[in-house]
Amino acid sequence: MKIRKIWVLAGIIAVMFFLTAPVFGSDGCPPASVLIDSLSQLYNGAEFDHEQHVDITDDCSACHHHSFGKNVDNEQCARCHYDNRGTSSVACGDCHVQEPFTVQHIREMESNPNRYHIDVTGLKAAYHLRCFNCHVKMGAPSGCVDCHERTDTGDRFYHSGKYAPAGGEIGGQNE
Amino acid sequence: MSGITRRDFFKTTIAGGSALALSSTKNAFGMSEFDGYPESMGVLVDLTRCIGCRTCEAACNKEHGLPEPDLPFDDFSVFDQTSHGGAVKRRTDDGAYTVVNRYETKDLGGPVYRKIQCNHCNEPACLTSCFVNAYTKTKEGAVIYNPDVCVGCRMCMVACPFRIPAYSYNSALHPEVIKCNFCYDNRLKKGKPPACVEACPQEALTFGHRKTLVKTAHERIRTEPEKYVDHVYGETEVGGTSWMYLSSVPFDQVGFDTTLQRHPILDNTKSFLSFVPMVLGIWPALFMGFHLLATGRKGKAEDTDSNNRGEGHEE
Repeated sequence: MKIRKIWVLAGIIAVMFFLTAPVFGSDGCPPASVLIDSLSQLYNGAEFDHEQHVDITDDCSACHHHSFGKNVDNEQCARCHYDNRGTSSVACGDCHVQEPFTVQHIREMESNPNRYHIDVTGLKAAYHLRCFNCHVKMGAPSGCVDCHERTDTGDRFYHSGKYAPAGGEIGGQNE
Repeated sequence: MSGITRRDFFKTTIAGGSALALSSTKNAFGMSEFDGYPESMGVLVDLTRCIGCRTCEAACNKEHGLPEPDLPFDDFSVFDQTSHGGAVKRRTDDGAYTVVNRYETKDLGGPVYRKIQCNHCNEPACLTSCFVNAYTKTKEGAVIYNPDVCVGCRMCMVACPFRIPAYSYNSALHPEVIKCNFCYDNRLKKGKPPACVEACPQEALTFGHRKTLVKTAHERIRTEPEKYVDHVYGETEVGGTSWMYLSSVPFDQVGFDTTLQRHPILDNTKSFLSFVPMVLGIWPALFMGFHLLATGRKGKAEDTDSNNRGEGHEE
């Protein structure tokens, strides 16, 4: 009986280890760089230099809100999130869904009357609102192709590059 | 005749009749309120999130197979385009259901961008102005247009308080009114968001039930009161619209008409128009009756008159 308990305990520990492992990488450190490409279509994925951004801010919650870092400053948020512990995952995609406007997701958000966060952006907006707004504020590059290259599909979509309208190069590509 | 003169009779009949007609039409058509379809969808446009990338314009162009633009969609020199001596910024036309404009504002550091398209009113003025019923307000919230019955009077273009419907003047044989249709056939009807909403990288466009979006909008204002103007444009304007706006600068500084009435445009003519069936239906019969009554009496009166005259002449 006792041996069985030990096995169960060992199992739980193993599972918990695997749950926390992806957060810190195999060596327990944050990843040096992340390729954000789950939505790439008009643009290639963005190569995100995580290390560089860690150097810029020592507060992880500047990006990973609700998950890491110092206690929440915003009084509104602090009403519930006063004890700002790390969550099991830091991935944006765990809360911000890829398709926020499907019938199913809209129903899900509306069906629970006790839900406080009725206004959670989709994954694409979560990335852009975080990254772009800060880039503008910090004077960092803020053009579309500064972070991700446009694909051929993208060029066709924007009627740009080799798909530009005849005589359309006047004014040029801005940013 | 006893007591009552003909003049009195006319007076009381007309006054009583019209009062009766008025009171009944008021209940039948008159001042009833329509708050939009309960399951109506909508879009909340948050100007604080828009970065003027024009991806929505490109997505719209692709979705509807619109003509190739004059300039690429990543060419931002279009923001400097104006017409009417610089007074009017870009507008929707036969090649674009939606356009984004840039506004330099005094209060904020950077420019503010504003996307325009059909706002899909709860009680659309274009629909009520159309005498061939070319327009439909669907239960999903879209205001759609049927070119097959349109006679090209373009009354809708005059009626729209947002100056959105455009006309394909270049088409000699099949000209039609051009405006945003909320991607009704290909997307909205199938429960999908419009192409522009899906394409927006910043989620400056939030798609959902209109009722929920009103709550969302007020919640955004409540949580960040210093960021937003305390008004949701389109919540009450012209009786409410499916597309609504949030802004960080006063709405009149970014091209919105803030003088619009709170009730639907239709209300301006509804009370008058409710008289029309009454006038057309009852008045001909009523006055024909009066006419017959009057001419009948006149005949008799003439007889006695001539008799009298005859007698007088003889005397």
